[in-house]
Amino acid sequence: MTDRTPAPEGAEALAEQVTQARLATLGMLVAGLAHELNTPLGALNSNHDSLRRALEKLQAILADEVVSPDELEEVRRIVRAVDGILRVNDMAVERMSSLVRDLRNFGRVDRAELDLADLHEGLDSTLAILAHQLTAIEVVREYRPLPRIECRPQQLNQVFMNLLLNARQATPDGGRITIHTGTTGDAIEIRITDTGTGIRPEHLARIFDPGFTTKGNRVGMGLGLLISRQIVERHGGRLLVRSTPGQGATFTVRLPLDPAGGRTGTIPDAEVNS
Amino acid sequence: MSTQNTIMLVDDELMVLTALRGFLELETSYRILSFTSPLAALEALSAEPVDVIVADFMMPELDGISFLRQARATRPMATRILLTGYADKENAIRAINEAGLYYYLEKPWSNEHLQLVIRNGIERSALFTELDMRVSALEHANRELYQIRHRLIQAFL
Ligand SMILES: Nc1ncnc2c1ncn2[C@@H]1O[C@H](COP(=O)(O)OP(=O)(O)OP(=O)(O)O)[C@@H](O)[C@H]1O
Ligand SMILES: [Mg+2]
Repeated sequence: MTDRTPAPEGAEALAEQVTQARLATLGMLVAGLAHELNTPLGALNSNHDSLRRALEKLQAILADEVVSPDELEEVRRIVRAVDGILRVNDMAVERMSSLVRDLRNFGRVDRAELDLADLHEGLDSTLAILAHQLTAIEVVREYRPLPRIECRPQQLNQVFMNLLLNARQATPDGGRITIHTGTTGDAIEIRITDTGTGIRPEHLARIFDPGFTTKGNRVGMGLGLLISRQIVERHGGRLLVRSTPGQGATFTVRLPLDPAGGRTGTIPDAEVNS
Repeated sequence: MSTQNTIMLVDDELMVLTALRGFLELETSYRILSFTSPLAALEALSAEPVDVIVADFMMPELDGISFLRQARATRPMATRILLTGYADKENAIRAINEAGLYYYLEKPWSNEHLQLVIRNGIERSALFTELDMRVSALEHANRELYQIRHRLIQAFL
């Protein structure tokens, strides 16, 4: 192609907004993860110092090559303390490792962009990443068996992330989010239902519009659903919504069992102005 | 009056609680009461006094500031210290004024700093307790003086 048609200005501005929205979501997630990491880090940091002090105490006792009965009691006390500290360190290291594992799964580090993927894995790693945001919400997983499908898993994870975040933002503490999966005919369905505020009928038609948000600019950019719908449609699927105001909302991701229509490797990269 | 000082630790994360406890047991001879549940801690507080309370901010049952506010109602002399993650710093600072906290420590904390803050906190609550005792002794003496004066007036006028 020699003469590239310049993207219309609207599309460019939109792409810019999409980038901004992604960064905002990312920023929020990173803040949550930093907080999550801080707990084991705080414990490890303190324990490292305690262990050094314990060692110094033991060295002081051993310095004169004589261990009196009093000192022996002190040594026993220190050994008990060290034992407890090491057990906490095990917990802290395990917590940090599992956080890193979740992050790798979500970002699908080291894995192909286009892949035969298990969507439950994607949902689970997205939920793991969101754990910090979901502590006050009951999360119910109603998973039915799903076949693996050829897709761009990282992008679908972004859809799950957007839908789950919206559900969380609409649902007061103590509410419930249900994730139902299953197959119907030749499609896979993933339904995310919340017990939140629901969507006013006059808003239903507009929630996929770029920039439509009821959250105020500090929270929402009004792009999550637009991006999600585009990703799902590029997979040959549909993103549907149903809501009863005051009772909650259900967003359904419907994907063909064979999203690429038999031709693998053709799901385009979802960019607004590709 | 040199009884053993009592420190109460409250954090829903067992990991943090055990690390704090391990350090204080290694380096000090304080009596340590530790709780993962702020509600259980409040119950314990009504049963016995403590010198210093260290509480985490983000706890699902009851946030650290509300907890410390309630603790103040039960044990006004105890020194209250908040432990907070970086993300809740802004809230914490606001609450220090609202709830009359003595200090806040950020996670990850320095053991040395923690030890110092606790030591000062114990001193502070001991001073308050002593002041309280002196004031009530003064009030008592004052009352007696009034009674004597009253009797004198009745006897001689
Ligand atoms: N589960 C839900 N319950 C109630 N309202 C919802 C739900 N999901 C979306 N909405 C409504 O749709 C609007 C648009 O959602 P969308 O995800 O596109 O943008 P946003 O969440 O406002 O901002 P962001 O760009 O951060 O996602 C929301 O502002 C909200 O009014
Ligand atoms: Mg959104």
